[in-house]
Amino acid sequence: MKRRALVLSGLGAAALVVGWGALPPRSRQGGADTMPVVQGEIGLNGWIKIGVDDGGIVLAMNRSEMGQGVHTALAMLVAEELDVALDKVRLVQAGPEKLYGNVAGFVAALPFHPADSEPGHETRIVKTGQWLMAKVASEFGINMTGGSSTVADAWDLLRLAAATARAQLLGAASLEWRLPAAELSVTNGVISHPSGPQGHYGLFAKAAAATPPGDVVLKTPKQWALIGTPAKRIDLQAKVDGSALFGIDVRLPGQLYAVVRHAPALGGSYGAVNVEAALKLPGVERVVRLGTYAGSTDALAVVGTSYWHAKQGAQALQVEWQAPPAGVVNSVAIDQALERSARAAAASGGGFAFYRRGDVKDAAANAARTVEQVYRAPYLAHATMEPINCTARVTDGRVEIWAPTQMPGTARAAAARAAGVAIEAVTVHVTYLGGGFGRRLDVDFIGQAVRIAVETGGRPVQLIWPREEDIAHDFYRPAGVAVMQASLDAQGLPTGLAITSAGDAITPRWIERGLPALAGPIDTPDKTTSEGLFDLPYGIANQRIAGVATKSGVPIGFWRSVGHSHNAFFSECFVDELASEAKQDPLAFRLALLREAPRHAAVLRLAAEKSGWPGFGKAQPLPAGVARGVALHESFGSIVAQVVELSMAGGKPKLRRVVCTADVGTVVNPMIVAQQMEGGVLFGLSAALYGRIDIEASVVRQTNFPNYPVVRMSESPRIETYLVPSTRPPSGVGEPGTPPIAPAVANAMFVLSGQRIRALPLIA
Amino acid sequence: MELSINGQMRPIADAAVDPNMPLLWVLRDVLNMTGTKFGCGVAACGACTVQVEGQAVRSCVTPLAALTGKRIVTIEALGSAEQPHPLQTAWLAHQVPQCGYCQSGMLMAAAALLANNPNPSDADIDAGITNICRCGTYPRIREAIKTAAAALRAGNAPARRPAVVRSA
Repeated sequence: MKRRALVLSGLGAAALVVGWGALPPRSRQGGADTMPVVQGEIGLNGWIKIGVDDGGIVLAMNRSEMGQGVHTALAMLVAEELDVALDKVRLVQAGPEKLYGNVAGFVAALPFHPADSEPGHETRIVKTGQWLMAKVASEFGINMTGGSSTVADAWDLLRLAAATARAQLLGAASLEWRLPAAELSVTNGVISHPSGPQGHYGLFAKAAAATPPGDVVLKTPKQWALIGTPAKRIDLQAKVDGSALFGIDVRLPGQLYAVVRHAPALGGSYGAVNVEAALKLPGVERVVRLGTYAGSTDALAVVGTSYWHAKQGAQALQVEWQAPPAGVVNSVAIDQALERSARAAAASGGGFAFYRRGDVKDAAANAARTVEQVYRAPYLAHATMEPINCTARVTDGRVEIWAPTQMPGTARAAAARAAGVAIEAVTVHVTYLGGGFGRRLDVDFIGQAVRIAVETGGRPVQLIWPREEDIAHDFYRPAGVAVMQASLDAQGLPTGLAITSAGDAITPRWIERGLPALAGPIDTPDKTTSEGLFDLPYGIANQRIAGVATKSGVPIGFWRSVGHSHNAFFSECFVDELASEAKQDPLAFRLALLREAPRHAAVLRLAAEKSGWPGFGKAQPLPAGVARGVALHESFGSIVAQVVELSMAGGKPKLRRVVCTADVGTVVNPMIVAQQMEGGVLFGLSAALYGRIDIEASVVRQTNFPNYPVVRMSESPRIETYLVPSTRPPSGVGEPGTPPIAPAVANAMFVLSGQRIRALPLIA
Repeated sequence: MELSINGQMRPIADAAVDPNMPLLWVLRDVLNMTGTKFGCGVAACGACTVQVEGQAVRSCVTPLAALTGKRIVTIEALGSAEQPHPLQTAWLAHQVPQCGYCQSGMLMAAAALLANNPNPSDADIDAGITNICRCGTYPRIREAIKTAAAALRAGNAPARRPAVVRSA
């Protein structure tokens, strides 16, 4: 109870600060005047405006499109309830108002066990915690695209906004035509009555704004025409003809370009700097000393007439730099320290217990034998395809930024701090993101760009990080180590599972640098360290899953699937080891442990059938030298199983097929879900095979794709995605495909080699 | 100097460039043609792929000095919504892009591949498409290339392609 009390007292205190009020069900609908007034458009609530001339729908888009398909998915929710075709919905960027903040993403960050959090069957403590967090998140209104939470957050909200708008429009038509609203129907935005009258939404928009909606009823799933269909994404035409506008594509009159050069050591700083040689180069305008912004390392920026000119200048800088004042760090030493911490806590029953069930000490004392293994994972960089960039213009006390960001509100605050202006003086334009993966939840590069723009006399400046700066000055996926201990009975079946992990807590570090006003004096237990370990579905009678939150001194951040990205490797490889200990088929072994988890069992069984796993449906024999491996993992509310088929060639696994099955709740767009599963698999595969960041004396050794390799076409397997039908609310899609691939690959490699690999990456 | 880009001679102010300046930055920062992307700067990722004389070239390491009199084609001339290249049609049919950032380079590399090999095998695609995508669109790219290749072989290619398809 201790952990829950701690979590709830923190939330309770926060709720007291922001005030105890009921959470009105429509608190995030917003008024008709929330969206900016534009000639020819009538606002009906904070999300929807109607075009007077054509009845088109204007949707306030509060989430960033970074490839995960949310612009299409959210437009689909609105088009569905308003009975319009998808191409009738036009997106405009949502403003900074609180209603556009993310609630679901923050509620999901609470460290509750999934078994206690079943929708509609939450335990009392879970319900209370979720209510408090929802209240707090609503009050702060932090606009975040992350945590695979976009559709979950919008699901009721946007459908209600659209259905309310539709009811108002029908109400207005009903009044004008003097016909009962119940007898009106809508076809692609045209309201009609069987007796003849018809007209598009635009004709009734003005009256609708003054018409109460009455009782608003959402469509039932049987009435859906769009939700659940593989509708084409709305952003792809621009992405096949080169016209899509990413942050790095912003072009403004008089624009300059800036290239950043950080002090080489993470957290280090510059001493003497000689800029003479740089300033003599053609096209180099100035050098700006940046200092640190939202967690960045001290840096210099060279401003020029093009990226290339600025880059020449950056290379010509003569600099002296110092290591961080707190001393240097080394990734090898950190790995050893994490192992020591995890082992010590495992021996003493220490660490913060995120989950307890039964008594693992009793289980160990009564075991026929015990198994203990240590698993480990390295630091990782994000390496978004679009290098880190931001464009800024500072004129007459006003600041405008154009940014590929997952956090527009935080970016706005960072820009205001960097320019020394009030937040109201800052306008944020969110562009497409050329990949986010969590890197663009940080706003270090925003402050840097604004700081440079303060110096350029009103000329806009586009800051671009060379790839080498991106790889060497990221906020890394933290390294982690876990001691995995199992107690086995005489048949080799597990009676106890103790996991003790050690690694840095991401959330408090991220809040400190990005949302300093919310930073507390102490770190509350952060689920990112233990997610994917404490929340396992397996019905092992005795469990203690604990984490030691360390402070290793390396800048760390959120990385697609966060703690699950390595913890799934630890847990699903160890479960595979337990199957070997019990001399059982690894898939059947898992199924036997899933009696309390029917949804997980269904996902796993589907993977077995579709992959032709022996003993399930029609077996699909494999050629000699090819083996299968399986992994099952829940993250962000969704359950994913993957079966890989691979062979070994030249010491490297060569994947030929991945069968991916998933329960993601209600599916809004199965094509996008399949895309995200494919993407999740390949993102995770790059990390599984190659991903590692090595740090020596605080300097990152990797610099660019040649020494930070990622999977290419020739290594990319066929990926088949199958979805388990569900009537639950939508859960995460962008991240849950990533965690299972590393263990599935490792487990298949074991079948071929007989050797367990317990460290990432799999290719040493 | 002048560069032949997408069938047009484009004057480049001498003051804005120098012979060592890579084509990528001339396109992006001098001509404001931003469809071609910067990814790595070391010819490792292919986001900057354009065609020079029909061959896929990594523009981030191709200096201006090497381009005198050469025909350059960029994503801006591959096709449009109204007149798409068969690869663009296939890209949309297979719903290939996610974030989309690498896709210009992917398409230009694929167009060069098909111009030289009308019926590429899986191994040909592996060898011909060495660009990096972090979203993991490779499986869909593979299928889209095959679909576009079939369409081209069946004669569904639009008539206007001389700038992109290498002359036989």
